[in-house]
Amino acid sequence: MLRRLALSLGLTALTAAGPLLAQRTPPVEHWIPDEAVLTVELARPQVVFDLLRDEAVLEFITGLPAWEEWTRSKDFGELRNLVRYLETMLEVDWRTGLERLTGGGLTLAAGPQGEVLLIVEARDEELLAHLHEFAVDIARSQAGRAGGVTSERRGPAEVWSFNGKEAHAIVGNRFLVSNRRGALDAALELVEGTGKGSLATTASYREAREAARADAVVRFYADLVALKENPKLASALSGARSNPMAALLFADLTEALRGSSFLSATLAVEGPKLTLCVDVDGQAAGAESAAAFAVPAAGAGPLPNLDVPGRIGAATFHRDLHRFYAAKDELFPERSSSLIFFENMMGIFFTGRDLTDEVFAATRPDVRLLVAEQRYDAEIGTPEVQIPAFAAVIGLRDVAADGEVFEEAWQKALGLFNFTRGQKALPGLIIRSATRGDTDYTVAYFSARGIEDRTKLHERYNFRPTLAMPGDFLVLSSSEGLARDLIDALGRERAGSGAPLAGVGGVLEIDGGRLAAILEENLDSLVRSNMVNEGNTREAAQAEIGVLLTIARLVDSVSLSVGTDGTGTRALLEAQLNPPTRTPGGSR
Amino acid sequence: MVLNTQQTRRRVDPGWAWEPYDPGAQRRWSLAQAGHLYRRAGFGATWSELQRALEEGPQRSVDRLVRPPGDLAAFGRRADEDEVAATRGGPSDGVRDWWLRRMIETPFPLLEKLTLFWHGHFAADASRVQEARTVQRHVALLRRHALGSFGTLLDEASRDPALLLTLGAAENRRALPQDGLARALLGSYTVGSGHFGEEDVREAARAFTGIFVRREEFRFVPREHDEGTKRILGKTGPFTPEEAVSIALEHHATPQNLVRALYRFLVSEAEDPAPELLAPLATSFAEDHDTHKLVETMLRSNLFFSDHALRRRIKSPVELALGIARGLEGMVATGPLARELARLGQSLLHPPTGRGWPGGRYWIDRVSLGRRQELAAALMLGEERYGGKLDTEALAAERGFEGSVGDFLSALFLQEREGPSLPRRTRPAVEALVTLPEFQLA
Repeated sequence: MLRRLALSLGLTALTAAGPLLAQRTPPVEHWIPDEAVLTVELARPQVVFDLLRDEAVLEFITGLPAWEEWTRSKDFGELRNLVRYLETMLEVDWRTGLERLTGGGLTLAAGPQGEVLLIVEARDEELLAHLHEFAVDIARSQAGRAGGVTSERRGPAEVWSFNGKEAHAIVGNRFLVSNRRGALDAALELVEGTGKGSLATTASYREAREAARADAVVRFYADLVALKENPKLASALSGARSNPMAALLFADLTEALRGSSFLSATLAVEGPKLTLCVDVDGQAAGAESAAAFAVPAAGAGPLPNLDVPGRIGAATFHRDLHRFYAAKDELFPERSSSLIFFENMMGIFFTGRDLTDEVFAATRPDVRLLVAEQRYDAEIGTPEVQIPAFAAVIGLRDVAADGEVFEEAWQKALGLFNFTRGQKALPGLIIRSATRGDTDYTVAYFSARGIEDRTKLHERYNFRPTLAMPGDFLVLSSSEGLARDLIDALGRERAGSGAPLAGVGGVLEIDGGRLAAILEENLDSLVRSNMVNEGNTREAAQAEIGVLLTIARLVDSVSLSVGTDGTGTRALLEAQLNPPTRTPGGSR
Repeated sequence: MVLNTQQTRRRVDPGWAWEPYDPGAQRRWSLAQAGHLYRRAGFGATWSELQRALEEGPQRSVDRLVRPPGDLAAFGRRADEDEVAATRGGPSDGVRDWWLRRMIETPFPLLEKLTLFWHGHFAADASRVQEARTVQRHVALLRRHALGSFGTLLDEASRDPALLLTLGAAENRRALPQDGLARALLGSYTVGSGHFGEEDVREAARAFTGIFVRREEFRFVPREHDEGTKRILGKTGPFTPEEAVSIALEHHATPQNLVRALYRFLVSEAEDPAPELLAPLATSFAEDHDTHKLVETMLRSNLFFSDHALRRRIKSPVELALGIARGLEGMVATGPLARELARLGQSLLHPPTGRGWPGGRYWIDRVSLGRRQELAAALMLGEERYGGKLDTEALAAERGFEGSVGDFLSALFLQEREGPSLPRRTRPAVEALVTLPEFQLA
């Protein structure tokens, strides 16, 4: 099955025979019809070839449980036999053959009706022709079963089909294959110079290419005007408008996407660093924009992320909460039950105050979120299930005036929580005050008195909710330890420059090593969750989570920033990778 | 389809009904009866189980179901570990998902089937309980006694935190008796309606004073117990909670009520059985409250393998889905499945009323029928949303079935000797199968 499929489609993706064009071939986008709604281009395949020759990378890949499982499968055996056969026939090893057949790059384009066109550029035109002849011979020998081999002259090339479900042709050193004959014909018309228009002539594609990095390994382009007609995408973009939390976090992105005509993405590789840059030509700017709460003024930006011991992830945003909530009817017009509940609760906690003008107006647009490893007090003990600590740090305009308002609301919330727990005969929180440096804070905790085995505490012992107001910030943390670390970090920030990050609306940073450690600590839970949510056996679930863990271990750090520059919106993802190393015993 | 009640009462001789079924020329042992046995005593059969049952005959097949061979304890320990682990740091959904998985994997399907029966009988609601561990303990309690002594089960259930919280009976003070537990005990768990009055409920509630649930643990506080004389179901004395439960257990209506409920669950819900038909079973059950013996008698009986029982129940959503998973010998993603079952009206651990699920024709209406068919087709076609692990074609080939996939599905799920012919190819066969009325019947 695999062999037949590879011969009829896979191999033809690397071969074909046709007349050679004497003249120099133009860039590949000149051969893609302008109806294409998205393209993916492997512009520098050599980077991939180099990886495939790197011993450490190969050892890493072949050490993966998923790889080991695949090598035991029937499909792998068939593929290996086919590759060996081809190596013998073509007198070239598979790596070299692959480089010579695809070294010029690969471009995949998709049209609005599901048509797909793949263009592969070979470095070795002769090998390409040789392989195609060989594929034709095999296809003809199987013609009875595969639906027949057909060929027909079309403009500059012979158009072949091995099974009626694909059509392909070779033009010079380029191999073109499509799932629709019409799409291939349109490309050949462009080759011949009789086509209607190529992607290269569209303004949005040209603009996207200009925005792309020259050293990109992979380039992606999407015509958003066409794609936004897809109901699913339209629904996803409008989804943020029905969810207050999604609107708060992503309104700048969704508003930018709504106003964009294209999306361009490039992936660059520099040693162990991957850089993914995504650009759209729209932006959520202007005072009248509903997402203006997320866009800093020119030259301004969010404060840098805070650094605390054991930090797993941190995010900093420019979010004007007052402006956000004032625009709520526009941002999320649907009054969901959770929103009504939120407003009712806030009405209780901030009694007699207007939530928009007297509560959110007291905050500055500096919002920072953190997740960090837990450090448990030896006197209290360790929960059986360990949950990372998390916190929010929000700037306040006037702590002296508003500090007690937030403190009162906080204590009311704790009181309500305790009252509700009390109604259910469950243990409540004990509130006490403490000091870190010159900062007083309030911590609430569950008593562990009377518990003999402190090594397997209930998961509620992960939480010691804490409120602190160091300087002009409000810190709300799930654990006392993280709150204390944040008080220290804010002190260091005050002592330093603490300059805002200009030009960006938000930055997210993740520590891969600590994330991997958390995943490892919760390995059993993840495996069990996979079993009931994916229907896997325990072994299959362990393999799947093992892959996730391996990827997490591979990533040293990740940062994602989003910003606007007056002409569009850019998301920049930078990942620093660890050298691939084979973990003894695979990925567990 | 539904038998005339009067006709049934005249026709069925109780003596014949509960005699063990011995196949003969008049009533041959067939694939249809083997399938029927596995649907009722479990969640459906695999192809191999059907073939073996056909070969071994009814009584040996029942032997396998009521006393399965193999290391059941090892399976139980592993499944318990997974269930307990699912309670850590999460809601009770994990307990539900793992229970469904256990129903599919278990080597003792009858035990899980009876656990499901008792879940409907006691109807504990996880949304009234804070801790998932409390819910898991409740299901474990039902399982522990599912095929044991009903008396022990009732006694422990009356002290079970999940049940007491469900009934709003977490605080039973002498000065203010709560009638939640007393009303459920008399109205649902034991004697049933028509056999007790409001005075019995009030008096039993006095007997239950002193019962508390604190931090989701059972507590009995003697100073809060009313030690005065009570009159419950005609008996008088300074009854304790245990004695009140015992009075309800020993009442003559309790075995009748229980036998009737199990008859509906295992034999037929198409007609109301005549009291004299159930009398022999009720009499026996009153002596020892042995659920295993009662169930075994029902499963071995002439009546069970007769037309009075065949296709006389509508599959609950759980039975519908798990029958497919077990039949196709694969695993499904029980998390997404549980949510779909809830849409079909059977949200495990969240029964709709204090009497569980009404069942029967209440499972099906215009909307739910379409959803049931869609779910069944999605499972049989191995759709990704349920894990994509079921492969009808591969299984038919693996089991050496020589006919078409349509024939395989028909033999596996319908077992009708003169049943409808299904299309040969998989998708049309599945689509035809799930729309058949008999496919909706257990």
